[in-house]
Amino acid sequence: MADAVFLALTVITIGSAIAALELRSLIYGSIALMGTLGGIAGFFFMLDAPFVALFQLAVYVGSIAVLILFTVMLVKRELIFKKIEDKRRKFAGIGLMMVVMVGLGAVFLDSGIKTISTDEPAVDFRDIGTDFVTYYWPALILMGLILAGSVTGALVLAKREDVENDQRTN
Amino acid sequence: MSAIAPKFKLSEFIKSLLDNAFWTVLLASLIGLPAIQVVLFYIEMPVINGELLTPFLALTWLADPTRSLPILKAFMATDMFRVMVFPGFGFAALIAAGTIFIERKMLAKLQLRVGPFYCGKIEGILQLMGDGLKLISKEIIIPAKADKPIFWAAPVIFVATAAAFVALIPVAPGWVVADVDLGLLAVFAVIGFFPIVTILSAWSANSKFPFIGGIRALFQMVSFEIPLILSLLGVVILTGTLNLSEIAASQTNFPWIVFLPVGAIVFFITMLAELERIPFDLPEAESEIVAGWLTEFSGMMYGLVQLGTYLKLYAFAGLFVVLFLGGWNGPMVVPPFPEELLTGVQVGPLTVGPFPGLPLFDQEMLNGTLWFVLKTVGVIFFILLPRGVFPRIRIDMLLSLGWTKLIGLAFVNIFIALGLLYAGVLGPGGLQ
Repeated sequence: MADAVFLALTVITIGSAIAALELRSLIYGSIALMGTLGGIAGFFFMLDAPFVALFQLAVYVGSIAVLILFTVMLVKRELIFKKIEDKRRKFAGIGLMMVVMVGLGAVFLDSGIKTISTDEPAVDFRDIGTDFVTYYWPALILMGLILAGSVTGALVLAKREDVENDQRTN
Repeated sequence: MSAIAPKFKLSEFIKSLLDNAFWTVLLASLIGLPAIQVVLFYIEMPVINGELLTPFLALTWLADPTRSLPILKAFMATDMFRVMVFPGFGFAALIAAGTIFIERKMLAKLQLRVGPFYCGKIEGILQLMGDGLKLISKEIIIPAKADKPIFWAAPVIFVATAAAFVALIPVAPGWVVADVDLGLLAVFAVIGFFPIVTILSAWSANSKFPFIGGIRALFQMVSFEIPLILSLLGVVILTGTLNLSEIAASQTNFPWIVFLPVGAIVFFITMLAELERIPFDLPEAESEIVAGWLTEFSGMMYGLVQLGTYLKLYAFAGLFVVLFLGGWNGPMVVPPFPEELLTGVQVGPLTVGPFPGLPLFDQEMLNGTLWFVLKTVGVIFFILLPRGVFPRIRIDMLLSLGWTKLIGLAFVNIFIALGLLYAGVLGPGGLQ
């Protein structure tokens, strides 16, 4: 059962990744990208990490993919891209990707990942939280500062100064 | 002679009926019954009251309604029942349908109109059924240059996403379709799918007004998702869990709205924006852009989108009840199940019962459902009310509200929660 799900997820993830690169329609490409990101979320579910999986769905599929869709829809494709398309380039691209993936896979397999035991109990997300506030607290504070900075920046950007008074909201 | 069927003959008509009956009986006995037998051979039948449910036993039980109660009870214990009927789709769709009718009638009363009136004897009570029949029988028109696969899929995905949202809402103790340990995160993940469906359907219609509406919907939903998530973190901080059932169960003494009114208000406003309801109905602004992103939908596709919208409304109201109003908690008002029915009632010379399989629902579940539905209906009323009261606001006001005021208030709410926790008012050693 798990093997079948793993295989299906693999096919979905890699297939939609190839589709995201190769489809001529940018919208369908972004939908395929969503499929890839969703497939990765599925892998996290299989790895007993539902916390990461749900964040993957909420952030990557829910926000990043929407951002990409939005950008793609507002852009006239012909203005940016010049189409240089022939069969050889296409297959060379797919081949290059395959070579890179096989190389990375070989590195991973060689790195001793085979000896990891897989029947460990799943890590509770509360333990991750405890680790964050005890051992990894500098990293947490750094992240907090960066996020606070970006939120403040977004608020400042949203409060435009060049709007005339009669267009103001209140 | 009738003009519609000029060559009508009664004998021919009866002959055709008999013909159909003959072939039905023949095919059913030659193909239908053996097929059922073959299928039954492979299905694992449940054991009810210590007896294996053979087709013969099932038929005898069906003939005697009191004896079919165990079958009903066994069916109610299955996941299928949860998904299709009670805390799942059927229940939510019933509430959604009721909401549509109540909304039209209530708005009419608010604006001194009569609203739906003619369909059905009393106050247009059958209007909803009439609308449904109309939507089903209407032709589905697809714009000539629309992107057909996405355009077809969008309403279905919309309803599916709304149903996934409904599945996460606990209605009574133990009565929830998907009791996820990270329920609130799952809610955030599901909410994230709505803007995608909206913008894809808007783009695929290849028409100006849907596209403008879709872009507006995207702006609105994405920018209000942030205060929505932040406003719920206070509850998570106080309860220490993301499981919605546990959050509801933690409010036996008092609902969280007592301590986190700011969070509840922020969540309610963001809820209105996510649901595209007045005063935030810019995506469907019917006086500006026809019907916004719904413009090109017709027939049952529009019906599906409408169903999804109201399922989403129910789910958001249910989420508000679970997080802030105490979920199913409330005084016990449902009377206990009469004991006589379990042992048998003496009616004159006859003894009626005992009925095996009763009670179908326990007292706690009925009471929980009653309180949950009452609170949810109240929240839905307050979601519908602004539609009769407020005008639509401008998009820059909307974005400014979301990005500056609501996010700030959500942080205030988080600090209130942290203060309550560290001051020892709530949490370990405190009130709860």
